Amino acid sequence: MLKTLLASSVALAALAAAANAADKKLVISVYGFAQDEFKEIVYDPFKTICDCDLVVETGNSVERLAKLEARKDDPEIDMAVMSTHDALAAARKGITQPIDISRLTNYDKLYDIAKDPLGGHLGVGYTFYATSIAYRADKVKIESWADLFQDELKGRVAFPNVTTNQGPPALYMLGMAMGNDAADLKAPIDEVASNKDDIVTFYERSSQVAQLMQQEEILAAPIGRFSWGPYSKMDMDMAWATPKEGETGGMNVMILTKGAKNEDLAYQFMDFWLSTEIQTKLAEALVDSPANSEVVVSDEIAENLTYGAETVKNLKLLPPDVILDNREAWLSEWNAKVGQ
Amino acid sequence: MFHNRTEALALAMPAAIFAAIVFLVPVGILLSEGFRAADSWTLSAYTGFFDNELNRVVFWRTLKLGALVTAASAVIGYATAYAIVTLPPTARGRMIGLVVMPLMISPVARTYAWIVILGRTGIVNKAIVGLGLSDEPLRFLFTETAVFIGLLQLFLPLMILSLISALENMPKDAVPAARVLGANWLQVFLKVILPLTKEGLVIGGTLVFTGSLTAYITPAILGGSKVLMLETLLYQRVTVANDFAAASIIAMILMVMSFSANMLLKRLATARSKR
Repeated sequence: MLKTLLASSVALAALAAAANAADKKLVISVYGFAQDEFKEIVYDPFKTICDCDLVVETGNSVERLAKLEARKDDPEIDMAVMSTHDALAAARKGITQPIDISRLTNYDKLYDIAKDPLGGHLGVGYTFYATSIAYRADKVKIESWADLFQDELKGRVAFPNVTTNQGPPALYMLGMAMGNDAADLKAPIDEVASNKDDIVTFYERSSQVAQLMQQEEILAAPIGRFSWGPYSKMDMDMAWATPKEGETGGMNVMILTKGAKNEDLAYQFMDFWLSTEIQTKLAEALVDSPANSEVVVSDEIAENLTYGAETVKNLKLLPPDVILDNREAWLSEWNAKVGQ
Repeated sequence: MFHNRTEALALAMPAAIFAAIVFLVPVGILLSEGFRAADSWTLSAYTGFFDNELNRVVFWRTLKLGALVTAASAVIGYATAYAIVTLPPTARGRMIGLVVMPLMISPVARTYAWIVILGRTGIVNKAIVGLGLSDEPLRFLFTETAVFIGLLQLFLPLMILSLISALENMPKDAVPAARVLGANWLQVFLKVILPLTKEGLVIGGTLVFTGSLTAYITPAILGGSKVLMLETLLYQRVTVANDFAAASIIAMILMVMSFSANMLLKRLATARSKR
């Protein structure tokens, strides 16, 4: 009798919990990469804490932005993560709402550049990366972005396509090296165009660059720090350049959709993701560089990340509004001069 | 089998309606995108597409590479197929097996192999430098040559298989008869083999040409953004600019190119047989 009673009450409790979990549902939209790690480090632990269901939608930025826009009046997604310029595009389309930072207990721990990258608290930075030049230290010397076009690198260098996230920042730094930091990027695009026969390829995926480097097809290429891992393991004298103009990069932010149906859960989730514990775990798994300044990792881990107050302070990021306002013009300028 | 036509048609209706709704209608909507202006129908998007110099370059490059790959696969295909059909049955079976084998390997893997083979330290460049043909390794990757080689390797089996089946259906004594009557090999090919196997050439040619036009992986990996083709341009327009109108224009152009190629090849085949 007692056994039956116990069994049925356990079953009832489980049923109630399931019903409860089904009641509370958070829908998020994220990049498709490293989802196994995210599930283990972020999603599953959060589900236990919130006692809710978590629906994860993945895809590239364009797809996800298009979907958010299509469901603008009846949003199914509560929060999303995007690059700063895509997040600003979403904000301009009226898809997002300002984030109430008083509801994020971990907000004060963030590096300053991550606190309000879009203005008006329309997004909170959760990770960023440096972009600089990976090169073969035994073959060439790189001290400036302009060194990409030195004689030793003729026919041995790859450059990011303007359509990638690395492209415009790399062009911007090249412009700075030429003494021209105009946002129209005309000068650096001209420079790339005049050297295009000496550039092996304008890459679109960072994984491709690692293969070309491994095959000794190229000796240098601007890349994001997040893809540095495979290079450091190559049986070659690889180095990460610290050009005199500085390093550039990019940042990803969290956004809250306007009219989000599960706002409380969204805040709880964002705060959880920004916590020192989760940011540390993500950093240790080499998934994302931490935006939380309290995160401490070993030198070995730090080597593969964009880490530390000094590094973060010196990043020369292209402002999101500059990217958004000029993107189309850069692409047509690039297609007209480089693309053919 | 059926009492009348109406009954047969009625039975076919559900499947036809299903196909129309889930296939034809979406394709129609996608393609109509290119003709739609704010509140009217127009061709301006198409003229605008060809006004852009990059688009013109990409269009001609796609057409040129498609035609070159088709022509090269026809030349190699005839030689290979003829050699295979003259073998004894067991050996023929084995050779056909070898031709089919690459089709069982993913195009991604096959294309990636070319990156290694055509690279600076790859076998081709080692041979070129080793034989003293060049002091420095040549650059093949991310050129039209690389895309041409990749596409040719990808689609050649289709041409060979079409030609093998056409050559097998050719009367066995046609070639010896022509030879006995004093025709040289060129005449034998042009006046006997070609007319008798034109169906196989049309099928193979259409498969290879259409395949080359619409291949995405090979031009993307071996050509990259330096050798844009219509397919890679389409991808770029959608993923970078979310520009579905341009994508639908490119899709329409690709369809028209494929149909025209098929019609042209058929026309050539019938023109020859009338002579």
